[in-house]
Amino acid sequence: MASIGLAFSEEHDMKKLSEKAAKGWHLKKFRLAGYELEKGEPEESIFSIDYRKLQKDEEEEYFELFAYGGWTHVCSSANMHIFKAAPETTPIYSDAESSIDKLARLAKSVNLVASIALAITIVFWVFMTFASGAIQHIAEQGFTYSIIFTVPALMTSGGVYYHMWKNLRLKSKHI
Amino acid sequence: MKSLEQLTDSVFYIMAALTEPRHGYAVMSLIEETTKGTFVVGPASLYTIIKKLAAEHLIQLHDDSNSRRKVYVLTDKGREILLEDIERRKIMIHLAEQGLQRGQK
Repeated sequence: MASIGLAFSEEHDMKKLSEKAAKGWHLKKFRLAGYELEKGEPEESIFSIDYRKLQKDEEEEYFELFAYGGWTHVCSSANMHIFKAAPETTPIYSDAESSIDKLARLAKSVNLVASIALAITIVFWVFMTFASGAIQHIAEQGFTYSIIFTVPALMTSGGVYYHMWKNLRLKSKHI
Repeated sequence: MKSLEQLTDSVFYIMAALTEPRHGYAVMSLIEETTKGTFVVGPASLYTIIKKLAAEHLIQLHDDSNSRRKVYVLTDKGREILLEDIERRKIMIHLAEQGLQRGQK
């Protein structure tokens, strides 16, 4: 199952995983730009994702809390953890404050990638514009390639901030 | 939850549960039992809040805990903050109760 990137489509992806599970296709693990599913019995379940960097000695406590809350750990990759539960289980984030914290953690890593990509692109652009000969030629190619990474990276950052803004609005509505 | 000056309901419940040493999941079940399921804290929220309270030194690991079973309890600073918030909440309740009584007459 493909994904256009969790920063944009987290909710959509989780809903789709739930639809797939109802048809007997279960999440097995993360794959580059998507998820690997495996065939089994149809099952009604809901999915949630959390972003968190865990130290070795924190893992047990973290996963135990989820298990106690009715959430089964399915798979993890690069500080992303997916859980599933029976429909109607209490959501993993029950308040607006901590779900905004979740997005802030995500923004930190996404922004790091975007800034590195942007910096590389700028360096190539400088050489492309001000250098000459072979260096300019290499810089031109480098610029083209780095743009391919930078644009989606910046869009991802934008996506995260959009979600944060949406959450903040939701929070102020509750008050 | 940038500032803990005004505790949210979730933070308040968690701190109230940690007036005595407890595991994370004991905090969850205490809140659920006490409120008869009308207030629940999700595991990701609970974990986030516990980490935050520990970082702000409002709770600490209790002597009984080991790497497998982490037990937390309020620090002196945590007790102080909780007491302040109880006073804040008392004012709210007092105002409402008095108003309701006057309104009945």
